[in-house]
Amino acid sequence: MKKIQLILLFALFGQVVMTNEVNVYTSRHYDSDPGLYEEFTKETGIKVNIISGKGSALLERLKAEGRNSPADVFFTVDAGNLWKVQKENLLQSIKSDKVLKVVPENLRGPNNEWTAIAKRARVIFYNPTSVDENEISDLDYEDLANPEWKNRVVIRSSSNMYNQSLVASLISNLGESQTESWAKGLINNFARKPQGNDRSQIIAVANGEADLAIANSYYIGIMLSGSAGKEQLEAAQKVRMLFPNQANRGVHINISGAGILKHSPNVENANLFLEFLLSERVQKYMVDKSYEYPILEGILPSKEIASFGLNFVEDQTSVRQFGELNPAAVRLMDRAGWK
Amino acid sequence: MNEVILKIQNLSHSYDDDQLSLKKINLLVNKGERLSIQGPSGCGKSTLLRLIAGLEEPNEGQIFINEEEVSSPGFSVPPEKRQIGMVVQDKALFPHLSIYENICFGIKKNTDKEQIALDLLNLFKIEELKNKFPHQISGGEKQRVALARSMAPNPNFIMLDEAFSALDSDLKVSIYDEVLEIFQGKNITVILVTHDTEEAKILSTRQLNMDNGELL
Amino acid sequence: MNKVSFWSALPFAVLFVFTAPILIIFSSFFGGYSENWNHIINFVLLDYVSSSIYLVFGVSLIVLLIGTITAWTVTNFNFPGKRVFEWALILPLAIPPYILAYTFTGLFDPFGDANNLARLILGLDRDFVLFPNVRNVYGAIIVFGFTLYPYVYLVARSSLINQSRSMQESARMLGLNQFQVFHRLTLPLIRPAVIGGLMLVIMETLSDFGAVEHFAIQTFTTGIFRTWYGLYDLQTAMQLASLLLLAIGVFYILERNSRGQQIYTASNSTYSPNLEKRLSKSKAVLAFLVCLTPIFIGFILPIIELSVWAYEVNRDFFTTQFVSSFVNTISLSVVTGFVCAGLALLINFSIRYKPTYLVNKLSSLLSIGYAVPGLILAVGIVQLFVYLDSLALSSLDIVLTGSLIGLILAYIIKTYALANSSIDSGYERISSALDDSSKLLGVVGWSMLRKVHLPLLKTSLLTSILLVMSDVVKELPATLILRPFNFETLAVSTYIYASEERMIQAAAPAIAIVLTGLIPILFLTKMIRSSRPVQIDE
Repeated sequence: MKKIQLILLFALFGQVVMTNEVNVYTSRHYDSDPGLYEEFTKETGIKVNIISGKGSALLERLKAEGRNSPADVFFTVDAGNLWKVQKENLLQSIKSDKVLKVVPENLRGPNNEWTAIAKRARVIFYNPTSVDENEISDLDYEDLANPEWKNRVVIRSSSNMYNQSLVASLISNLGESQTESWAKGLINNFARKPQGNDRSQIIAVANGEADLAIANSYYIGIMLSGSAGKEQLEAAQKVRMLFPNQANRGVHINISGAGILKHSPNVENANLFLEFLLSERVQKYMVDKSYEYPILEGILPSKEIASFGLNFVEDQTSVRQFGELNPAAVRLMDRAGWK
Repeated sequence: MNEVILKIQNLSHSYDDDQLSLKKINLLVNKGERLSIQGPSGCGKSTLLRLIAGLEEPNEGQIFINEEEVSSPGFSVPPEKRQIGMVVQDKALFPHLSIYENICFGIKKNTDKEQIALDLLNLFKIEELKNKFPHQISGGEKQRVALARSMAPNPNFIMLDEAFSALDSDLKVSIYDEVLEIFQGKNITVILVTHDTEEAKILSTRQLNMDNGELL
Repeated sequence: MNKVSFWSALPFAVLFVFTAPILIIFSSFFGGYSENWNHIINFVLLDYVSSSIYLVFGVSLIVLLIGTITAWTVTNFNFPGKRVFEWALILPLAIPPYILAYTFTGLFDPFGDANNLARLILGLDRDFVLFPNVRNVYGAIIVFGFTLYPYVYLVARSSLINQSRSMQESARMLGLNQFQVFHRLTLPLIRPAVIGGLMLVIMETLSDFGAVEHFAIQTFTTGIFRTWYGLYDLQTAMQLASLLLLAIGVFYILERNSRGQQIYTASNSTYSPNLEKRLSKSKAVLAFLVCLTPIFIGFILPIIELSVWAYEVNRDFFTTQFVSSFVNTISLSVVTGFVCAGLALLINFSIRYKPTYLVNKLSSLLSIGYAVPGLILAVGIVQLFVYLDSLALSSLDIVLTGSLIGLILAYIIKTYALANSSIDSGYERISSALDDSSKLLGVVGWSMLRKVHLPLLKTSLLTSILLVMSDVVKELPATLILRPFNFETLAVSTYIYASEERMIQAAAPAIAIVLTGLIPILFLTKMIRSSRPVQIDE
């Protein structure tokens, strides 16, 4: 009787038992990730324990666990989310040379609390049958606020972190007041009230509900691969992807990233894990499966993504700004009325 | 003063297409009369009252109230226009209204409502119940209220359908005397339906029997 | 420990656990107010309030109209189909609002099935949109109106049946025509019951998260969710939650009041003849349509859309994800069912065994959970566990946050009222004379519970378990917040697929939810059929 009670107790209380391993708290939910962890174990013999969940829930859990937290690595998407954990002083600086050499400074935390593992661009999708070549040549984000795009643009809700980071980046480059006028102009051009996720926006353009959609680059890869179903594949085939701001600062870049927790019990293993993620083989594997852009130079992204262009200008704004300016971005979007 | 207040000719009715519940009823009631109809349950006496009231429509036959036709095949005056008072077995007092409001319920707008109601409260000796509610009074008191309410709009005549059967037997006897006095005093025409022979004897001036849909 | 004090202490202990999350939410009023709070007040609070007001008004209008008119039609008239409509009118209760919302967008979006079909039939090009956009407040009002009207229908019908026909006929004899009878008699008498039903509808509307989020409407629930998940600001989320709780508190009090008033307007007659008037052909057709329309919109239409999706997903219906969600959901609901039923049994027994005024009052407070939105309960529990974990961490290495305990606790608090009402009515049927005889024979305490009460309460226990299970299966917002990592229930799976606009995959979990939702409906229909009034034959 006692044994059963103990087992039940463990099951209910979610206790993590520790041996030679690395404990990864992740809010990335890509199907390809489990394969990644298996590879790491094969290569190093270190067991990977995964706790996955929403970023805010993981953060609360980390705060609650405090010094006793078994967490080693925090893995997530969007620099804004990384900043939230950084802000609470939960991360330690990464010392690994390998990591610091490979990842450019603008893709790391202010004191190297976290590092990028892969990149994504927030691009513009359009339907070639309803949009003129001249309209979209040298298109900037800023142009989307112009009256000729009235009723033609779709984007998801302001509650999503990707948009908040985009706006943060605009504030960093253009200043608040200009960004606010831009936001108001953009909202005037919405073809419909913000609804659905990034993929819904792309599907809306494919259907003719709108002419331009702002969404993350990797979605077109996922949709074109067919793994999301016939409907999404057909929609993806109807649209094209373009990189805005190519004549000036470049397209908005964001990251998937990871950091090492301050009280990590397995710091060495955590470093090995990060180095692993930035190794050639793994970068190739990751970008093939998640359709993101690699950090490592010389690695080609997957063919579905590559077909839209590889030598595009990337905004070099330090991604650490996205987190710092996040509160301002959220407030700006609310003031402008971006629902 | 032998005005015919109610005339029924050849009245027939059936609830379903099978059996007739009433077979060719003929009846005359004079003003001031108190008519009782007795019979076993299911004989059709309640149905007769409902037809007179206008709550059901007959298959054939005619009904006249005060010489005016209120019912014939294809034509029927709705109950609210027939000016008939009715008291049923469960008294059916309105639970959300006070006794005073219950009594006033049917009194027409342009009359002196308050005076009429007070007079009736006095008559039935229930003045102190004026502001109470139905769930706060006894069975006997509800009886009086129901009667008062039915008389308040000054109807052509009133009908009682097993109106007293829910009361205790001792209570019944005292009520009969009271009620009789009131009926006589105000010269009220009454048609009452009952299975209680005592009730019929005390309260009515003419007694009839009914069986199987026919008046005997 | 003295057995007597266990029974007296139990209700207090349970009350403490149940109210702790709510008290914690309110305690946020005394914490600091962050920048986010000021920002919310200045820019979004007005939106939350106005959307909520719109919703409450619109939904109230619809449920009052549909609920009372259908109840009136079905109680007073005889027409073909009436027997079926009597119970069929509550079918929409099996469909939680968020599922109706998902099927509506699947149908009425510009490129949804209904519009596509219309274009096909009418042979028009893609610019033509027949059905208006539903992703707004009006769409939400329709969704809530048509899934929740059965609450009003049920109470209105029950109240109408209790109104003796003779009362209405007396009113007519006193000179009122049919409309006046309805207006001065029927309506005032059903008003307390209808208000009670309406309050339940409003509380459910304000608690919803899935439907309003899908329609992109800014309400308190989406605001709370967004502040917590998007801004990572638990404190401000709790402050928002407090506001919503205050508003709901008002409706909760109104609902309890109406229950008291219903006693006075109950019919005081023991004999209720209720002849149903047979309708002429044209009127019968009207009555038929009046009853069919709400059932069609609230039940048949969503079922059709779900079936279309199920057909399209075809062999992929039983994915591994579906199976695991299904197993998770069933396990959770069974555990909650048993715990709630057990608790209700113990509490009701202790009230009966050691009745005091205080304990009685306390136990009715235990049922308060049904009024608290699942989202708010979850937020309170998150904060509660964060406190507990920070206290306990020095001595124990237990982490409550992120475990199943929080979720089960939320379910229990939310559904306790259901279990309680079932056990309570079961106990009412057990006369206290049995308790007395038992005591005289020396069988007291636990033994009395086990040997005397338990055998007699078997049906009530089963009913309460089933009712609780069906409620747990449908629950969405609390589950989203409190579930352990990678743990999905049927409701969560439906939500995730729907937010990714993968509606076809949503079919399997959604259909499973509706099927389980039909279980309590079966109970209710049995109750309805047996409550048909007596026909007189004279």
